[in-house]
Amino acid sequence: MDTHSTAIELSEPAPAEVAAGTEVALKIKLRCAAGCELHSLPLTIKGPDDAAPTGATCHINDNGEIALKVLPKVGPQSFSVAFGPHEADDIRHEPCSLSLTVNAIPHGTSLAVWDIPSPIVKGERFAIKVGAKSAADAELKGLEIAIVDSSDTVVARGRLRDTPWPGTTALYWDEVELLAPAEAGLSRWSVRFAPASLALPHDGTSAEFTAAVVQRPEHRLTVKVIEQASKAPIEDVQIRLGAFRGATGPSGLAEVMMPKGHYDLQIWKAGYEAPARAVDINADLAVEIEATVLPEDNPDTAWTA
Amino acid sequence: MGTQDRGDKGGAAEALSRRSFLSKGAAAGVGAAALTGAAATEARAEIKWDHTADIVIIGAGVSGLAAAITARDHGVSVIAVDENYDIGGRGILSGGRLHLGGGNAMQQKHGIKDTADQVYADWVRFDANAARYSDRDLVRVFADENVATYNFLVENGVEFIDRMIGPEAASTIPRTFVTVEWHVPSELIAPGRNRNGSGLVRRLEISARKKGAQIFLRHKMTKIIREQENSRRVIGITTMNGSNTVNIQARKGIIIATGGHTGNVNFRRTFDPRLTEEYQQACEPWVHQGADGELAAMELGASLWATAAQTREAGAAITKTRHIGCRWGYSSLVYQPESPMFRLARATGLTVEDWQNVIFVNQFGKRFWNEVDGSYNFFAACMAWHGDKSKLNGGGPIWAIFDADGAAREKWNTKPPNVDPDGYFFSADTIAELAGKIRNPYQKQAMPGAVLQETVARYNSFVTAGVDADFKKPTPLYKIEKPPFYVAWSTPILHDTLTGLHTNTNGEVMDIRGEVIQGLYCAGESQGGFAQHGLARCLTFGRVAARHAAGRTS
Repeated sequence: MDTHSTAIELSEPAPAEVAAGTEVALKIKLRCAAGCELHSLPLTIKGPDDAAPTGATCHINDNGEIALKVLPKVGPQSFSVAFGPHEADDIRHEPCSLSLTVNAIPHGTSLAVWDIPSPIVKGERFAIKVGAKSAADAELKGLEIAIVDSSDTVVARGRLRDTPWPGTTALYWDEVELLAPAEAGLSRWSVRFAPASLALPHDGTSAEFTAAVVQRPEHRLTVKVIEQASKAPIEDVQIRLGAFRGATGPSGLAEVMMPKGHYDLQIWKAGYEAPARAVDINADLAVEIEATVLPEDNPDTAWTA
Repeated sequence: MGTQDRGDKGGAAEALSRRSFLSKGAAAGVGAAALTGAAATEARAEIKWDHTADIVIIGAGVSGLAAAITARDHGVSVIAVDENYDIGGRGILSGGRLHLGGGNAMQQKHGIKDTADQVYADWVRFDANAARYSDRDLVRVFADENVATYNFLVENGVEFIDRMIGPEAASTIPRTFVTVEWHVPSELIAPGRNRNGSGLVRRLEISARKKGAQIFLRHKMTKIIREQENSRRVIGITTMNGSNTVNIQARKGIIIATGGHTGNVNFRRTFDPRLTEEYQQACEPWVHQGADGELAAMELGASLWATAAQTREAGAAITKTRHIGCRWGYSSLVYQPESPMFRLARATGLTVEDWQNVIFVNQFGKRFWNEVDGSYNFFAACMAWHGDKSKLNGGGPIWAIFDADGAAREKWNTKPPNVDPDGYFFSADTIAELAGKIRNPYQKQAMPGAVLQETVARYNSFVTAGVDADFKKPTPLYKIEKPPFYVAWSTPILHDTLTGLHTNTNGEVMDIRGEVIQGLYCAGESQGGFAQHGLARCLTFGRVAARHAAGRTS
């Protein structure tokens, strides 16, 4: 019987980091010194630290890869991939093995914060929605999220509900009530999420959100927007005065409740333009804005009679 | 010339490029290298001509069809070849807007007074970017031929919508009118999209065939053959029909009507090095604009002309992607599922009505400009160096980021066939996760999720305050906050070819020494010198070139 020596080597470097509890594909080569084709023969995977086999026997797939299952714990994990010995057709292929270590890391998490009302009146309560997502799509129901203010004080807590937000794959969410600060201005909060009791290890994360805190509105601003040439009212025009906003209805009218102050009144509707106008709010006020139609600048616009 | 069933790159231009001087560097673009890299010697006596005609036209688009009809009107035989499986070139996908004046019958009917002199005066205006870089000798020809070109269209059955538009571009009076869309849906490339140019090219095709023009489809020009090595006279072309080589002799002239260079990355970078591979072009995948005519002529020593027009920063040489989330989102062109191109285009895109509903980020997840701007300042910002150390030219992919509320305001259905999830559209539950979803051949590194999250949070704070402190987007209106979140391909898309081969007023191609290359003509977007957008210059110079070629001695 002839004896051939063999060797296993990585044909591409193993990834430096792998999320704990996941499978990693390793590109490897199994060589015979005499050039025999060995790729259809089984390999044995052991690890980490020569614990029970994690993959038992496996074969190199058509892409030259084997799958390595990383344990669901964080930190370096050592594996060995072993071949043989194997005897067939009067040839003995000697055993060989490959040792490698991968660094298992926690799964990432991320957050979304939405339905944040703005502006909010100082000192009043308001609600926001907060969602948390595991990069491994882990079920996060029941986990706590915390809201902290700019002084790093926890001002509210929530507990993620049982089912993901509609339209998402695994965004677990809750509605959280907060108290607006006593001072007017742009306020910032952070959402913090630190999952600890999951089967797979996860990193925590945070996300920031802002809201404009204002004095209680006391005056009614009525804005009418008309087209400059035809004097026709324009619907669905967005009205902005700093943090305050409104939109025109079919008659071109928008009403916005405002506190006293000096504001830049701006409008927006695609296809129209009008310069900003300064307004002083000391009482109820009505203004009229003339908007001009922007010319179509596309020379290939679809056009029919 | 166009293509179907072709991959990302390749085609005539690439084939020529690989074996020609341009593969050694785009800087040789104006033809300086053309003489030293002259085409290989042909043993002329050994050429077996498979076909012969007085005039051979390369490209059966707008200028090629106009030239074919004109040739027949002057009593000479003509063969037009096109690499595509159908006629029309970019014209069949155009809006059909014709910019012709001079006092034509349409203008007269609508009470618009115009003259050739006024056309000329308008299109040499120093105060109009669209006009100031043009060759005034060519503009004069164009102006003088406006009425004749209009009459030519009428005589050849082209129908118009009875309404004048304008004034547009450099014109000071209305000169634009629109052809009637072709009435057979199965003979359209973009049905249901008012691509009225189909009515122009289909009518011209019918007329050309009726008058005896031969049109060879799926014939891809690979070479223009000259009489002898270093000769300034051309005598035919070589084409490939499938795997068959087909040589076509031209007794009087060859007209290059191949439609421009926008699809040839190496060639277009001659004029603007920023225009790297990530910028797609309008009318792909129907036509490629591979510069094959320009390159074949430059191998014979032809020169480019009036190249400033290509970078004049006016009009639609570069455009904002209007239909996001697909690879080719040129403003007025959408391939619906019933289009024969849909299999290649893969998605219609999501049509943006209001740019307030998205923010743009670069490949690193950072905002870089005011999203509602569509000026050349915006394009410059897109093409700016954003910090990619492995790619200094071009700005890399530009992505639109929006949320569930933005999609609802735009009434978008974010599923195929509206979007192309194979590289051009992705969704996720959070912004940070969204960045990691992007897999696109032009996105060379992963977009950092933390950066994108910070970008969106900062923008949302601008919406809260009502002021965009970074890029002065007017009245930033909508936060990007409600899941799910979306990222859609929004990289600017290229359109017009505005420069090309140097010709004289007869459309004869000139070499780099200012001498005529005998028998070689050029018309349409491959012709340099008159950078008016659209169909009119293509029709006019197609007629002019064919008329002169027909009068040449064989």
